[in-house]
Amino acid sequence: MGLPPKATFPLSLLLLFFLFLVLSTSAQQEEFSEELLLKPLPDRKVLAHFHFQNEAPLAADSFARHHHLFPKSISQLVQKFHIKAMELSFTQGRWNYERWGGFDPISSHNAKPPGVELWAVFDVPLHLVDASWRNLTHSLSGLFCTSINFLESSTAYSSPEWAFQSALGSLRYGTLPREAVCTENLTPWLKLLPCRDKAGLSSLMDRPSIYRSFYHSQRLHLTMSSAASDGSRSGIILEQTLTVVLQPNDQNAGMSNVGEIKIQPSWSLSSIFGRKISGRCVLAKLSNVYLHADRGLVAQLETSQKNTAHFATNDTGPEDFRRNSGFELSVAPKRVLKELDKSSSVLYEYPIKEYKDIEQFDLGLMWEHPIVWSSPHAPFYASRFLVGSGNERGAIAISLKSTEMTQQLVANNIEDSCKLQVNVLQVVPWYVKVYYHTLQLLVDERPQVLTDFIERMRVSPSEDKVSPGMMELVLQVPCAMKSAVLSIEFDKGFLHIDEYPPDANQGFDIPSAIISFPDFHAGLQFYDKSQSKSPLLSKLQEKSPVLSYTEVLLVPLTTPDFSMPYNVITITCTIFALYFGSLLNVLRRRVGEEERLLKNKDAKKGVFLRQVLTNLSAKLRGKPLESTPSVSSSSSSSSSSFVSPKLILRVLLVAGIAIAWQYYSQ
Amino acid sequence: MLIFLSFSAACSSASSDATMHTNNWAVLVCTSRFWFNYRHMANTLSLYRTVKRLGIPDERIILMLADDMACNARNKYPAQVFNNENHRLNLYGDNVEVDYRGYEVTVENFLRVLTGRHETAVPRSKRLLSDEGSHILLYMTGHGGDEFLKFQDSEELQSHDLADAVKQMKEKRRFKELLIMVDTCQASTLFSQLHSPGVLAIGSSMKGENSYSHHLDSDVGVSVVDRFTFYTLAFFERLNMYDNASLSSLFNSYNPNLLMSTAYYRMDLYQRHLDEVPVTNFFGSVMKTIHTDSAYRSGSNKKVGPAKTKMSLEQSISDSDRIILRNSDEEGPFNNLSVEEYLRDSVGQIWSAIFSNVNTFESIDAFVCYGLILMLPLLIFSTWLSK
Repeated sequence: MGLPPKATFPLSLLLLFFLFLVLSTSAQQEEFSEELLLKPLPDRKVLAHFHFQNEAPLAADSFARHHHLFPKSISQLVQKFHIKAMELSFTQGRWNYERWGGFDPISSHNAKPPGVELWAVFDVPLHLVDASWRNLTHSLSGLFCTSINFLESSTAYSSPEWAFQSALGSLRYGTLPREAVCTENLTPWLKLLPCRDKAGLSSLMDRPSIYRSFYHSQRLHLTMSSAASDGSRSGIILEQTLTVVLQPNDQNAGMSNVGEIKIQPSWSLSSIFGRKISGRCVLAKLSNVYLHADRGLVAQLETSQKNTAHFATNDTGPEDFRRNSGFELSVAPKRVLKELDKSSSVLYEYPIKEYKDIEQFDLGLMWEHPIVWSSPHAPFYASRFLVGSGNERGAIAISLKSTEMTQQLVANNIEDSCKLQVNVLQVVPWYVKVYYHTLQLLVDERPQVLTDFIERMRVSPSEDKVSPGMMELVLQVPCAMKSAVLSIEFDKGFLHIDEYPPDANQGFDIPSAIISFPDFHAGLQFYDKSQSKSPLLSKLQEKSPVLSYTEVLLVPLTTPDFSMPYNVITITCTIFALYFGSLLNVLRRRVGEEERLLKNKDAKKGVFLRQVLTNLSAKLRGKPLESTPSVSSSSSSSSSSFVSPKLILRVLLVAGIAIAWQYYSQ
Repeated sequence: MLIFLSFSAACSSASSDATMHTNNWAVLVCTSRFWFNYRHMANTLSLYRTVKRLGIPDERIILMLADDMACNARNKYPAQVFNNENHRLNLYGDNVEVDYRGYEVTVENFLRVLTGRHETAVPRSKRLLSDEGSHILLYMTGHGGDEFLKFQDSEELQSHDLADAVKQMKEKRRFKELLIMVDTCQASTLFSQLHSPGVLAIGSSMKGENSYSHHLDSDVGVSVVDRFTFYTLAFFERLNMYDNASLSSLFNSYNPNLLMSTAYYRMDLYQRHLDEVPVTNFFGSVMKTIHTDSAYRSGSNKKVGPAKTKMSLEQSISDSDRIILRNSDEEGPFNNLSVEEYLRDSVGQIWSAIFSNVNTFESIDAFVCYGLILMLPLLIFSTWLSK
């Protein structure tokens, strides 16, 4: 109590302030952000990319930890299975690399193979990885209402070593190409968000409009963030993205003339989703909407707007960016980001927080002039097809076709030694028996020696009913190459009758091959003045290898006729019956007897009467009756044994008529 | 020793009988694959919606759908499933949890769910975690036949399998009461092997009868609902969680002329009287509340007066277009019914007078006996006349 009371008061206030600061920083360690990127696509469609990021620190006693924003189920999953990194994606439709681009971060991160794709890296000893994987698949199937648990069988997953990601044996990768994706998968995914779909950007997710889209991919990505100081694990980053390619309603489709370039359909959030953003999720640190104008689109706009040479670079104010030669935006952006390169893409930023004066945020884009542009492409288009016919054998061919990008490279490089690296990962189920020695490479339609092009190769052959076949390749191809075709032959195997799915007639899927180009990095370099930490922007700027997935192949296998056993049983029974019937007939037939019977046929009636009488007497003797032994009563008693009310009634009717007739005739 | 054993057995059975109804579970199964079986999924989802509306939470519903219709490429209305032409109600709302779907819907998984014999890794959401105080609703729909139900067009669940599973559930005390509702052709045959007490079964059709779809939606392009389920839903749409409509009023609401098949009820294994059992005992989750004088005292005062089941709904259901069969006794209705139809067809209206007599008799056998005795004097009289 040495201090005077005047001094203690500000001191205690200071202490309180520090305490508050400490508390608030500890509470703010869990961070959530929601972002939406919209992008007009060259083929009259719109890409909407939702990005939600949730970060949580990794405490030592995480089992007892209470989470504010981070979903508990996911943190438990991470703790229980020691997941280092994981990605789960649900996709319907195929990303159109040719039209929607293959060289931007979105296409290489969010273009996924149809169905379910799951990979996970575990932080456990190598012999425990498979067990962790199996348990993880079951848990995820319960969490997301899917049949991911089919990935638990060793025939369904593989462990690529370097063509996909380098994780030194603790990576497992599996796909289910035919898994249906629907509302029941999206709902649990949305439940992981702190605001669910009740507030914020996620309230835009109107199920019918999402599932009507051309392509939708819902992704969940888990990574460990490492501390800057020592690189140890410090927290979990949960990244949830939903990528949708939608077709806006084309109101003036009929108005454009034939032969003229059609103007792109104008759209707004409410026209493509049927809803508007009515506010941000208050728990989110950041909730932004971005509109991304492609590099090609910006170039086209600049050429058409030559008189105003400085496009989007002058700092006169955001109102100027609302209108340009190509389109008009319904809401003025707060900020415009431009890529560092010369002709580069532009990003319009709309922080929802700053649009409080507008009741509902509804960004719209009105096209004013028809503009034709194309999205940046990957160095090669990758596609895959089946060769051969019949139910016995065939071949898988992966073709690479050069795009304008490689042509550009060739033009820039005068020397011939330019080489491009292409990584190929191909997983084939065991019933497609691939002969790896038949691998052939055609470069520019001429067969080539494999060793000239293949730098590394790793093959793990399939084992029947145990593991799938996997092939990892690193190719070094010349930049000037126009096309390359890798082909490999296979035999179609047979499954056990119980192993066929109920719709085996549809054929069997070979999962997508993954083609990656590690020499190229799909990253946009934005000139960002305000150092705001937007997870979506940092994701877009991240240098990641360009990746593309090929088509899923549908292989018709020989399916047995499942009704065949029954057919066999019936036909054998028929043959047996015919054989034994005729044999018995021959053995037991007495021709003389039959002829004698035929001679007596003229006295048939008498014989019949006698027979009836003997039958009757036999019946009466065998079964003593209590009623009178008249013919009619015995017949009625026998009819009663049939319990046929019809017969009884008829007899009654006849008796009644007989009595009446007798009575009247007298 | 024997006496002791029997005593203990009696005790255990008494204790199992005395357990209270504490929770409700529902297992809803659509066993048909392929787009043209849209109606089976719509059936199951309609029931799913109903039981959810009446209070069973999602974690206590095991929903098995053999195919994906909502996001099927052929579905003109993506992420939506309708059970009526008017498209007023989207069954596939924003909050559907499908536990088993696609290739997972197999006989094996179905029996595993019932008997609770799972692999250790199987998550809780895929398990039927019922106990001896559970009332379970088991609804199945698909294509079936005499004593079997097809799963996915490739395997069958036989009536023996079902009965075995139910027996095992009873032994493991996985349910207190079980209501099996099946909408398939010849559904009644599926119940023929059941022997476990506490089981109540409703089938959409008798042996030899087909169960038909209700109507076709020309926008969706296929039939959207089956008749039995449609009229079941018609009954439930009038109800809310607090209604006390009894099971017998549900059973009586099925009109064979509208169903185009005869709904079958098996209640010989069920102890309680159906008039006293509210439908929410199975289709909802309405619990009795017990007021205890002090905390942590249970078991001693289980004497709770039976819930008063009002038959108020029965009156409301008897619409002008719908004839309710009020069966006074439990065995007679089908025999009487078949004879009635038969007579009307073959003999005509002259016999309606006789038929009214028939109705008063206890059974057809007695009627036959009376007929025979009646015929005897007639015959004697006629022979005497002819002399």
